[in-house]
Amino acid sequence: MPEYKGMVQPVRATDDEMRKIHIEPVPDEQKPEKALEFLDQIRKKFRSFVMAMESCTKCGQCAENCHTYLGTRDPNNIPTNRAELIRKIYKRYFTLEGRWFGKLVGAEDINLDVIEQWYSYFYQCSQCRRCAHVCPFGIDTCEVTFIGRQLLHWLGITPKLHASVGAAMEKVGNHTGLPKPGIVDTLEFMSEEIMDEFGVEVEFPVDKPESDIMYIPSSADFLLNPYTLMGAGMFFTYIGANWTIPSTVTEAGNFGLLFDQYYTQRGNVMRLLNAAQELGIKKIVWGECGHGWRAAKMYIPSLADRPVRWPITHIHDEIADMIRKNELKLDPNKNSNPVTLHDPCNYVRACGLNENMRTIIRKVTVDFREMSPNGENNFCCGGGSAILFDDPEMYQRRILLSSKKAEQVRATGVGKDGNGILCAPCSICKAQLYPMVEEHELGVEVKGLVDLVGKALVWK
Amino acid sequence: MKLLIGQILPYITVTLFTLGILYRLGRWAGARIIHNITLSPWLDTNGQVAVRIGSEAFLFRNLFKFDIGLWAGAFLMHFALLNILGGHIVGFGLLGEQFALIPGLGISPELSKEMSDLLGTVFGILLFVALLYLLYRRVAMEKVKLVTKTSDNLWLIYLLVLVGVGNIMRLFHPFHVEYELVRDYIVALALFQPVVNMELLNNGFFLVHYLLVQILLIVFPFSKLMHLFGMFAERWIVNRVYKDPAPGLPNVDVAAARKAGLGLPSGDAVEGGM
Repeated sequence: MPEYKGMVQPVRATDDEMRKIHIEPVPDEQKPEKALEFLDQIRKKFRSFVMAMESCTKCGQCAENCHTYLGTRDPNNIPTNRAELIRKIYKRYFTLEGRWFGKLVGAEDINLDVIEQWYSYFYQCSQCRRCAHVCPFGIDTCEVTFIGRQLLHWLGITPKLHASVGAAMEKVGNHTGLPKPGIVDTLEFMSEEIMDEFGVEVEFPVDKPESDIMYIPSSADFLLNPYTLMGAGMFFTYIGANWTIPSTVTEAGNFGLLFDQYYTQRGNVMRLLNAAQELGIKKIVWGECGHGWRAAKMYIPSLADRPVRWPITHIHDEIADMIRKNELKLDPNKNSNPVTLHDPCNYVRACGLNENMRTIIRKVTVDFREMSPNGENNFCCGGGSAILFDDPEMYQRRILLSSKKAEQVRATGVGKDGNGILCAPCSICKAQLYPMVEEHELGVEVKGLVDLVGKALVWK
Repeated sequence: MKLLIGQILPYITVTLFTLGILYRLGRWAGARIIHNITLSPWLDTNGQVAVRIGSEAFLFRNLFKFDIGLWAGAFLMHFALLNILGGHIVGFGLLGEQFALIPGLGISPELSKEMSDLLGTVFGILLFVALLYLLYRRVAMEKVKLVTKTSDNLWLIYLLVLVGVGNIMRLFHPFHVEYELVRDYIVALALFQPVVNMELLNNGFFLVHYLLVQILLIVFPFSKLMHLFGMFAERWIVNRVYKDPAPGLPNVDVAAARKAGLGLPSGDAVEGGM
C-alpha cells in the first residue's frame, strides 16, 4: 500500500511478518482505542515526550531547519506539525486544555485516518534531531516520532524493511541475514583483496577467544562498503591489536532504536553483552554506523539488564586518539582527490564525534573542504532512521529528502571535475547517498572515513 | 462587579494559579528521563550547563543564531514584559521611589518617580509593538502561519488588549492610577481586609485590566504559557554534562607492532599502499 488518501507510505510488513517479530497485529476497528491505551501508558514514562507535547509555542523556527520540509514543502513535515499529529490526540484525551477548548487549541478525536497519518509522516522523519538543536526550548521531535513508531509497531504497523531487519537481527545477529559461514567467507575474500590492492597481510579473526578488543562492524560493510571493513582490518593489524569480530553480533546498527525500543533494541544489546562475556574481551570498539553508534553509546547503559563491564568506544575515537599521540604514519597524498565530509546526524548531535572526525580527515586527505553548514549544524542525508525504502513512490520521496544535502555538496565544488569524494562515515548515509549522488549528478564517490585511513596508512 | 473582581476573585486566582502550576510540574516530574538524549557537542561542567541554559532562557540564543527576525520580536516582547512585571512589583511596592534608594546616585524621590513613569511608558509601548509584530508573523509569514493554531493568535490578541488597556491608563491622564492606591489595595487584600469601597476600584480601565490579568493567571497553568517552566524542564533533558569514556586500546603497542613489521608479507619489501 504505497499511498493512503494521498499520503505516501512505505510498504508495510504482512501480519505473518509482524508475528515473526512477536507482534500480534491489532484489527483495524480496534486500532484507535488501542492506540490511545498504548499512548496513555507510554506518555507517563517519557518526560522527553511529555515536554514535546506540552511546551511547544509554535514559533515556527523548526520549519526552515528541517531537510524533510525543505525537500517536500509538505506542511505536515514541519517538525512541530509532525509532532502535532500526535499532539492533537494527546491534547484531546490527556490535557484539560484540549478537553475544554477542543479544536480551538488544535485537539482532535482519534480515528484510523490519524493513525495512517502517523505512519506516513513518522516514516518521513529522519530523526536527525536538527529541530532539537535549533529549537529555542530544545524540544526533540525525534522523541515524538520514536514513540509514534513504537505505538504503530504495537498496533502491527511497521514497514516491511524494518520488520524484516528486526527478524534478521533475532535470527543471525545482523541486519542483512548473513550467517557465520558467509561472514567468514567474505572476510577471507577481503584479506585477499587487501593483499592484491595494498600488498598487506591482514587477517580478520572471528570469535577468537581471549581477544582484547571486540570490533563491531556494520553488516553493510560486508556487502556494500567493503573498504570500511578492510580499512578497519588494516588499522587493527597496523597497530598490532589482539582483536576479533563476534559472529553472533556482526552488526553495529540496531534498528530497534528506529521502530521498537523495547524488545528489538534490547534483544540486540543482550546479544552483544553475551558475546563480550563469552569471548573474554576487554574493550568494545564500534564500527561506522550512525544510529547504531547512538544506540550503543547512549542506550546500552539504560537498556542493559546487567552491569556493563566493558568500555565502548568508536573506531574514530581510537584512530583520532592515536593520531593525536602521533602513533600512526599516514600519507595524505594517497587520498589526493577533493574531499568533503557529510557529518552523520547521530555522530554530531547525539554522540559528540565532531572533532575526532576532523582530526582524522585532515590527516588522511590533501584537499579537504568543509560543507556549510557543518558539524552539529549539518543537514541530514535524507536517509536517517533507515527510511531507505525502495518502492517507486518512496524512492521519489528519498530524492526530495536528499535535495538539501545535494545543494550542500554542490556548493563545496568537490565534484566539479567528477572526481570528488563525499566522505559519509555511516552505513545509512552511505546507503542513501550511493544512489542519491547519481540522482543529483554530484560528481562524487561516497566513501567512509576508515576507508580513507586504510588507504593512507604507511606500513614501512 | 467590584466585589467580584476586586474582593473575591483575587483569592480564587492565586489559589488556582498556584495549584495549577504544581499540578503541571508534578505531571512533568512523574514522567522520567529514561535514556540519555543530551545533545552533543557535550557540555563538560555544570557551569557550562548553567551558561547554556541561561543564555537560551534569558537571551534566546538559538533564536538569535537561526532566525534573527523572530529573535528581535520574541526578545523584545519578553524583555519588555519582564521589566513591566518587575516595574509593577517594585513601582507599586516602593511608590516609584525605588531609584532614590540606590545609594551614591543622588536621585531624588521626585526624579525617581518620573523615571519610573518614563520606563513604564516606554516598555508598555515596546511590549505592545512587539506583540503586534509577533501577531503579524503569525498571519503573514508562511512558515509561521502553517504551524499556528487559532489559540496562538487568540493569546496574542488577548495580550494586546490587556497591554493596551494598561497603556491607556498610563498615557491618558484622566485614567491614570496613583501608585499609592494600588499599594494600599494590595496590602488590604493580603491582610484579608474589605477593599470594595477603595477608590482604585472606581476606575473602569483598572477593573478591566485587573480582570484580564486574573483570567490569564487562572488559565496560565493549563495553557501554552507554561513554556516559561517548560523551557527549563526541556533544556535539562537535552543540555546536561556528559563525559566520554577514555580512548586507548588494551595491550596495544604501535611502535613494537611496526618494528615487527606486522602486516608486511614475510621477508618481502612490498611498498605499503598504492
